[in-house]
Amino acid sequence: MNTDKIKEIFDCVETKADKIIVKKDFLNVIDLIKNNYKFDMLKEIIAIDNKDCIELIYNLYSTENDEDLKLSLTVSNNEADSVSKMYDSAVADEKEIYDLFGIKFIGNDELKRLYMPENWQGHPLRKDYSENDKRLEWNE
Amino acid sequence: MNSTFLKLNLGPQHPSTHGVLRLILEMQGEKIISCEPDIGYLHRGMEKMAEKMSYIRYLPTVDRIDYLAGFFYSELFCRTVESALELDLSERVKYIRVLLLELNRIASHLLWIGAFLMDLGAVSPFFYVFRERELILKYFEKITGQRMMNNYFVFGGVRHDIFDLDDVEEFLKILQNKIQDYNKIITDNPIFVQRTLSKGILAPDLAVNSSITGVNLRASGVKLDFRENDYLYKDIEFNPAVLNGKDSLSRYKARIEELQTSSEIIKQCLEKLKEHTNFRNDLVNPINLKLPTGEFYSQIEAPRGLASCFIKSDGGTSPYRLKWRTGSYYSVNLLRHLLKGEYLNDAIAIAGSLDIILPEVDK
Repeated sequence: MNTDKIKEIFDCVETKADKIIVKKDFLNVIDLIKNNYKFDMLKEIIAIDNKDCIELIYNLYSTENDEDLKLSLTVSNNEADSVSKMYDSAVADEKEIYDLFGIKFIGNDELKRLYMPENWQGHPLRKDYSENDKRLEWNE
Repeated sequence: MNSTFLKLNLGPQHPSTHGVLRLILEMQGEKIISCEPDIGYLHRGMEKMAEKMSYIRYLPTVDRIDYLAGFFYSELFCRTVESALELDLSERVKYIRVLLLELNRIASHLLWIGAFLMDLGAVSPFFYVFRERELILKYFEKITGQRMMNNYFVFGGVRHDIFDLDDVEEFLKILQNKIQDYNKIITDNPIFVQRTLSKGILAPDLAVNSSITGVNLRASGVKLDFRENDYLYKDIEFNPAVLNGKDSLSRYKARIEELQTSSEIIKQCLEKLKEHTNFRNDLVNPINLKLPTGEFYSQIEAPRGLASCFIKSDGGTSPYRLKWRTGSYYSVNLLRHLLKGEYLNDAIAIAGSLDIILPEVDK
């Protein structure tokens, strides 16, 4: 799959290493990639807290052409668009990211605490988590 | 949830949920209207833990992600670190790893056969498969010192050379006979066929869209096996079984077929190990091991579907971020669709046929 092709169609993407960084219109980009380039499987969504922002990596796969494609999205205001309407597996991934990173996915109605109890404060995989959490003092 | 339907909790302490899976079912009579899986009863914070531990301290814990297929996660973690450090495995080490992985896959599938049949009410196959699985675990104990959670792979190699390969050859002969026995006792059993045929139909489109991989996907007629592009399996020829049944029976048959496929791979490994007798590890000093800055990703075909490991390193002695992808996590998510419209007594059989294991789901 030619990443330059996607760059040509959308002016909102740029490539870095093996990732395509999407700047805007994320849902349109992923919709086109899914339908026109047959990336029919979303292997996983990886969230990374880069301290100044949270990055989501969408790891797409085409079963027909045996190709991988990584899309990168930077989240602002802890809100992102849900892709659960396009990929059913995203429901599970977004639930996990909501629980551990506190990102709200607009369009996913099934977001709630997954691993942590309902009344748990904070999101454990965020980098600012342990510093603020007094409950972890015994572990230091 | 609609108040006119009966809400039924299946689990978390239910013997046939293979751990602590809770399914919140909405029932109309015997029929399931909706299903909502509730997980997290076994969450150990594997990803958070990694950020606090050095690489070598984290290595023994990764086997626990899936205690039935510990070698796979050990291999996956080692592989990711090796790719970051650009370590090169010798041929013999590669085949040792493939041999143990495939033996582990057989052990895992055997246990699944027993557990699945127990879900359907047949208890005796459970003892038969444990008899054969015991031979594998005895061999693992001989080689690694542990029956499960072996902690045998290290960054750049394995702990020591393998020995007593005659045991493996002997086991393969026994397994061949036993597979025929399983077919006589289970596969051709009319009650078993009635409980599983055309139950839990998984359409290929839904399977791919729900990120289902491994045997479950191949039983729906999609030929996708990540071993085919795997560098460890480069010189090994095999044909993954693809079945078109799409139902629980098909998933069972695909696993029986996979026992054969794994046996074939092991046979080739034994031949290759006779050729490559030179054992060489490419080890690094694990004390204060630092990975170069960057993002590293690797994947493997585990018994329960695609497993992958992602490490982001900032050049420190522990990962900046570590992420696991496990096959069962998506199988649990699929139950929302698969159980809809089925009867309650089939729900156990359908959930069982996906081979869900909860430590892998909860991480």
